[in-house]
Amino acid sequence: MSIEATHMTIPISPDRTRRGSLRLRLPKVSRSVLLSTLTVAVLLAGWAIVTERGWANELFLPKPQAVWAAFVKTMTKGYQGATLLQHLGASLYRILTAFTLACLIGIPLGVLMGVSRNARALLNPLIEFYRPLPPLGLYTLLVMWLGIGESSKLSLLFLAGLPGIVISTIQAVTSVDPVYVRAAQSLGATRRHLLFHVYLPAAGPLILAGMRISLGFTYTVLVAAEIVAASAGIGWMIWDAAKFLLSDVVIMGLIVLGLTGVVLDLMMRGIAKLLMPWA
Amino acid sequence: MMKRLIATLAVATLALTGAGRAEDKPAKVTVGYLNLVNAQLVTKHLGLLAKEMPGVDIKYVKIGGGGDMLRAIAGNDVDFGGLGNPPTAIGATRALPIKGILVINMLDYVESMVVRTDKNITSLKDLKGKTVAAPFGSTTHYLLLQALKDEGVDPASMKILDLAPSDIAAAWLRGDIDAAWFWEPNLGKTVKNGGRILVTSGEMAKRGYPTWDIGVVMNAFAEKYPSYVDKFIKAECEGIDFWLKNPEKTAEIIAEELSLPIEDAQRMMKGTGMIPCSKQLTEEYLGTSAKKGKFVDTLISTADFLVKQERLPKLLPRADFEAFIQPAYLEKVIGR
Repeated sequence: MSIEATHMTIPISPDRTRRGSLRLRLPKVSRSVLLSTLTVAVLLAGWAIVTERGWANELFLPKPQAVWAAFVKTMTKGYQGATLLQHLGASLYRILTAFTLACLIGIPLGVLMGVSRNARALLNPLIEFYRPLPPLGLYTLLVMWLGIGESSKLSLLFLAGLPGIVISTIQAVTSVDPVYVRAAQSLGATRRHLLFHVYLPAAGPLILAGMRISLGFTYTVLVAAEIVAASAGIGWMIWDAAKFLLSDVVIMGLIVLGLTGVVLDLMMRGIAKLLMPWA
Repeated sequence: MMKRLIATLAVATLALTGAGRAEDKPAKVTVGYLNLVNAQLVTKHLGLLAKEMPGVDIKYVKIGGGGDMLRAIAGNDVDFGGLGNPPTAIGATRALPIKGILVINMLDYVESMVVRTDKNITSLKDLKGKTVAAPFGSTTHYLLLQALKDEGVDPASMKILDLAPSDIAAAWLRGDIDAAWFWEPNLGKTVKNGGRILVTSGEMAKRGYPTWDIGVVMNAFAEKYPSYVDKFIKAECEGIDFWLKNPEKTAEIIAEELSLPIEDAQRMMKGTGMIPCSKQLTEEYLGTSAKKGKFVDTLISTADFLVKQERLPKLLPRADFEAFIQPAYLEKVIGR
């Protein structure tokens, strides 16, 4: 649907309206930036007021300065043997490795299931069954099978990311307009041509949207994955600090985790623009 | 007319008796108990708390370790709980709204360090390059670091992993770890599967590092229902007396509660020190309201250690730890 629409509008729209819309868009962007900044500022101010006035128990909600101090200390001196960047590196390594594996397996699987009804019928029960399983329930089994090392952590993250990619890829491929496929076939396209020149380019934007959602899922199970036998990682740091009631470190870790997630998502969008400028 | 009169009378009587009572009755009492071998299991099994508190809905919640108990307390999920000395030191330093009211148990070889027999580990020095597990923030994690420090072994020379007791047992069976310092009932599984005890917590107590678990009450609960704190202590003391007087029956109870063979239950019981309530007010334990006992010293040295480990921000003055230990309720129960 949307692919058709963009293909239609771009060549038709005359130059004047495009420039006009550009002029209109600039203030819009700065306005939305302003509003977003306002949200953050109000949140921070609310946090500062609540803690300064002593309305909140510092055990549960430490002051912004305390969280900042925890950030500086973890950056420079580290938390339990590793600096913040080392913790972040350990977590990013786990997330990105698992996510890349999920993409490498999930996208071809999704394309296969999207193109072939038989493949879909064969594999659907598996995907549908484990998709709603809570990660912690799955994790106990993974730890028993694969041990307490990296492999069980990576598997959990991988399994969290996989279904999102597979399902969105199936949807993306099945929603490709059959007219494109038939047009290419009538021009003598082989199956290989169809895959790389029709299915993937047309389904690309939706697949990417699925990848972004799936990266989010992978991210949400990070703390769970790092609870068992980790000694580094942002998730582990948060978990460990909670045991010692170091809520400043917990909140700092959550903020770092949130911001990293935003940056990862921006990077995904940047890659999407590079790979698929037509989207 | 008659009916209305009776109704009014009934309401009036209710109001009067209600006003006459010094305090309300809690609708529900939640007891968080640690997954250990001690007399709390007897109290729970025999329903002694329910006998002391008729009409109150009593809920027992099993909690895996000190870290989880601290979270449960911080989240106000329990009325009574149990904590080892390291989590207690953390809770007292972070000003959790709790008071220590009862010695639940002293830890002997019910908590020990197990090492793999085929790895030739005969001293702590042999742990270099090995993988060692302990539940972080617990009594055994504290003793592990303390023992390494006393032997002059750098903790960074080995891989120390944070695992819950049940996960330690699973990881041990898979061969993922070479040593672990943790507690029964899971400790026995590792010993049976190629493990050997290297150090016990009892030996560490003799070296000047006693570890114990203390019963705590939420401040808000104690202020609202002080007599129910007495009732709780009374029930737990009865459980301790039963443990001390009926070892065979206690072993049966423990075996049933933890689904263990009876011999295992008997061995674990011997590794746990149960202190009769009448002795708890001595210098060795809680002490009295006038003069607090050695538990305060243990708390201070534990907190000091945790500060050096950068797990706690600062060491509080002695008065704060003294205020945490509250023998007054036990004094009332025993009648002193």
